[in-house]
Parts: sequence; C-alpha cells; structure tokens
Amino acid sequence: MVAFRTEASGRTTGLLFRCVLYCLLALALIIVDKRFDHLGKIRRLLSVVAYPVQIAVASPFDGWHWLRDSVTTRAALRADKSKLEAELRVAQFRLQRYEALEAETMRLRALRDSTAGVTERFVIGDVMNVDLDAFRERVLVDKGAGDGIYVGQAVLDSGGVFGQVARVGQLTSEVILVSDAAHAIPVQINRNGLRTVAVGTGDTKRLKLPYLPTSADVVAGDLLVTSGLGGGFPAGYPVGTIAEVRRDPSQSLADIDVKPAAALDRSKELLFVWLKPPAAELQPPPKAAPVPKK
Amino acid sequence: MALSALVALALAVLPLPAVLDALRPDFLVLVVFYWCIESPRVGGLSLAFFSGLALDVIHGVVLGQHALALTLMGAWATNLRLRIRVFSMLSQCLVVFALLTGYQFVLFWVDGATGNPVTTFSRWLAPFIGALLWPVLVSVMRKVRER
Repeated sequence: MVAFRTEASGRTTGLLFRCVLYCLLALALIIVDKRFDHLGKIRRLLSVVAYPVQIAVASPFDGWHWLRDSVTTRAALRADKSKLEAELRVAQFRLQRYEALEAETMRLRALRDSTAGVTERFVIGDVMNVDLDAFRERVLVDKGAGDGIYVGQAVLDSGGVFGQVARVGQLTSEVILVSDAAHAIPVQINRNGLRTVAVGTGDTKRLKLPYLPTSADVVAGDLLVTSGLGGGFPAGYPVGTIAEVRRDPSQSLADIDVKPAAALDRSKELLFVWLKPPAAELQPPPKAAPVPKK
Repeated sequence: MALSALVALALAVLPLPAVLDALRPDFLVLVVFYWCIESPRVGGLSLAFFSGLALDVIHGVVLGQHALALTLMGAWATNLRLRIRVFSMLSQCLVVFALLTGYQFVLFWVDGATGNPVTTFSRWLAPFIGALLWPVLVSVMRKVRER
C-alpha cells in the first residue's frame, strides 16, 4: 500500500483512518459470512433491495420477448402447433407405460429398502435475464424462500439435471449449474450401474468424470443418470452422455468428458424438485417443509 | 453521484453474450474511481464501500469481497488524486490500469482465501478493457455534470 502523505487539506489522516475502518469492516463481513451462517437473513434482505435493479435490467429483454411473441404470424403459430402436437404424441406414447413402471419401481424399492428419495412435487421457475459473476456458472431464478425453495434443492430442466440451489433470497434464488467448477454430482452409468461423481469444469458444454480408473467399463455414448446417493438429487434423472474417453496407460485414472443433458446455456424454465424422504429413514423434513400434493 | 452509481450497477448485470461477458469492464469500479479522484467529498470511501457491498450482493459472492477491494483501491485513488488530475489522459489510463489490477488482485486473493479460486486467465482482461474505457467515462461524466 502506498504511503499516505499529509497534504495541505489535512484530510489524509482521516482518509487513512476511514480506509482502515472500512477495510476492517469488510474483512469482518467476509469472515462472518464465511465462517458463520448469521448473515443469511441480512443477505436475503439485501437481495430484495437488489431485486429492482435486476428487474430493471431484465425488463427490456422481457418486453422484447413479449412483443416478439405477440406479433408472431399465424403461419408460425401453426408450425409451432403441429410441432408440439408431434412432440405430445411421442411423449404420450412413452407415458403409457409410465404408471406401471413407477408402481413397479416403488415395489422394487420397498423390497430392497432403497434409501433413494422420490420426487414428490415441483415448482417451475424462470431464469432471470441477469448475468451474475462471469467466471462462475450460476443463474438467478425468480423463485425464492417465499415459494419454499431451500438451499441444496435439486433443479432440473426439460433435458435433465440442471444444478442445485446455492443461495436463497426472499424473491429470487441462485442456482449453481452442474458445470460450475465447484459442483459435483453423484452419478451412475445407466448401462452397467457403475457409480462415480461428475464434476463441473466451468464450461457449460462439458463435465468430467475424474475418479474412474483407466480400466473402467465406459464407452462414448453411455448415458449418465443421477444415482440418488447423498440424497440431494432424485435418482434416475439424466445428467449427460459420455462424449470422449481418453485412456493414458501411464495414468491410473481415465480422462472422461461428459456432455451435459440439460441445456445449461439455453434453458429458460427450470423445475425445482422436492424429494419425499424415504419412508424407511426417519429424516427430519427439509427446512421449508413441502406441503404434500393432493 | 447516486445516479451514476446506479447506472453502473445496472450495467454490471446487463446480460451479454458469453464471449463478451468475460470482457465486461467493471463499470461501477470506474465510476467509484472517478468520484474518488474528482471530488472525494461527494463520493469517497463511503461510496466505495457501499458500492462494493452492492456488487457482492448482486454477484452473489462472499459479502465484503468487492467492498474490501473497492475500499482499498478507492483510498489509493483518493490519495493519488491531486497527481492524477494533472496527468495526461494516457498516464491516467495507466494509473487506472494499475488500480483495476490491484482491485482484481484483492478479489483474486479473497476468492482464494475463501476457497473458491477462479484461476481462469480471462479475469485479468477486465483491467485492460476498463483502462481503455476510462477516457470515455471521464468525458461522459463531464458532459453530464456540465448540464
């Protein structure tokens, strides 16, 4: 730090004093925020204050989308409709066996006292058009503690697992993507049930599996699904497909790239999922106790 | 003063394409430096501290990180202000570059100390862009203040 010289104005001693004061305050904040959990409430309040700024930034884009949506032509709407109908047909075809399969799954789970949680209810949130830190894979979503969102909650999109809730504000929440370098998710390979952990890379197009030995039975194209271990994520949701397996004989671990199943850089609507704690375990319910559906 | 800070804060979260996102200059930091140099009585360290706090909340990082960095660099800018004011624009840009690099370094350090190191090289590009943007910011602020 540069030496503070006395100037004619005589304000520099005040400057040094205030600088030290504010720096100590900031350091205290950092330590308290890092070590203890008491700042959660304050942060929640502050995030409400920040909400207008975020809304103000997002609104022109939302307005533009609204305008574009409202002036789409009849032809475009018809094309959309036929596309959606086709998709619906396929989806219904697949759904036909769903009920039966689910019942079967529950029965099998009960047989082996599985501890994997089961999805109970979900709520849909919209990604807000706001950029958070450029170097962390996070998005801001317009559902918060007021909607019962809790930290650690699993977030999916239409393609697969998107991430989990990292921080909750009163009106908004921050979702950390599976591709964030600080994120890891327990997965298994759908083909053979091999369990491992998928780790983010900081690149939305790539995850990696750093903990599999070179001899592991993995080939490009394998589907990765959540294993449900650890209890954070529901089991059986797609996380990604193996993109590339590099086996270096001199290394003990293989170098495996995964292409995420969720559209991490494009999804606008996200599903927040509540898990029903397994009946076998008498777990306390999550902080914001979900109201059972029905 | 409050208006310029708010506009800069909005610019800090404005959605940009992913390529440009890493190159986004720290608008609010530049505005704080401007006030520290131009009239520390109006802005000064309180502005620096609270702008930093706002950045912490908006970026969702550990509270106090940007506040600490901005306070330190704001104090430095305030201390150097009499000299910076008589500098040519080129030297001013160099000083601002040094300040912004110091700012990034404090952020980098706090990132590392709190256990979320961001080691991508692109974070060190922001000071470059910020320093290039300094003359633009100064002329815009002067224009607005003359009104």
